[in-house]
Amino acid sequence: MIKVLFFAHLRELAGADAVEVPLQEMTVASDLLNGLQGHVPQALIDELQDQSAMVSINHRYAGWEGQLQDGAEVGILPPVSGG
Amino acid sequence: MDVIIATEDFSAQEYYESLRQAAPQAGAIVMFVGLVRDFVGESASESKTAPSVDYLELEHYPGMTEALCQEIIDQARERFALDAVRVVHRVGKVTASEQIVLVAVASTHRVRAFEGAEFIMDYLKTRATFWKKEVGADGANWLGMKQADHDAALRWEKTDVQPS
Repeated sequence: MIKVLFFAHLRELAGADAVEVPLQEMTVASDLLNGLQGHVPQALIDELQDQSAMVSINHRYAGWEGQLQDGAEVGILPPVSGG
Repeated sequence: MDVIIATEDFSAQEYYESLRQAAPQAGAIVMFVGLVRDFVGESASESKTAPSVDYLELEHYPGMTEALCQEIIDQARERFALDAVRVVHRVGKVTASEQIVLVAVASTHRVRAFEGAEFIMDYLKTRATFWKKEVGADGANWLGMKQADHDAALRWEKTDVQPS
């Protein structure tokens, strides 16, 4: 399984902090665009299509080409705005 | 602890004392405290009517935020020869004029201390996993990264600051 966490407006679109999806044939983070189908609202999938959000894997910035492994925690991160 | 994620207001004095103790040989301490400005929404420049903002709501990515902040601090310590660093960042509800962030650094000389604090602040704003939402009577609005902040962080990649 892959645990996918959403933040800020993406979390609001997801309607949940996190979802778990089976790894199946996914190999890189961009495969989640298909892998999340049926697990989150379509509005979120649409929002992610341009891949402008950043991706972390196990708490490290990874990018959409980052490798997925079973048990990974993936963060889908809008542009940050702290400070 | 170099990094504190705080859900309540904090005492800058307390972190100053903590730095004094952690770096008794330091010749300079630079502290930056970011305050929430009196609100005209930050998105106001993009729309003709300024949204009314009552407070900010900050969220972060627990675990990743602390790791990223520590990474930024470690880089700064090495690059600017800092003796000790303290970073505090608020999360949750923050209202106008409240303290939102503190960066405090100790070094042998002032130039490195100033640079180190600025480096940490620039990277906090562009790398650390915090998100701000303006909340007001007209609704809520998530803020994106500002181009000026992005540019400020980039300049540290272009120039390698020489030891002073």
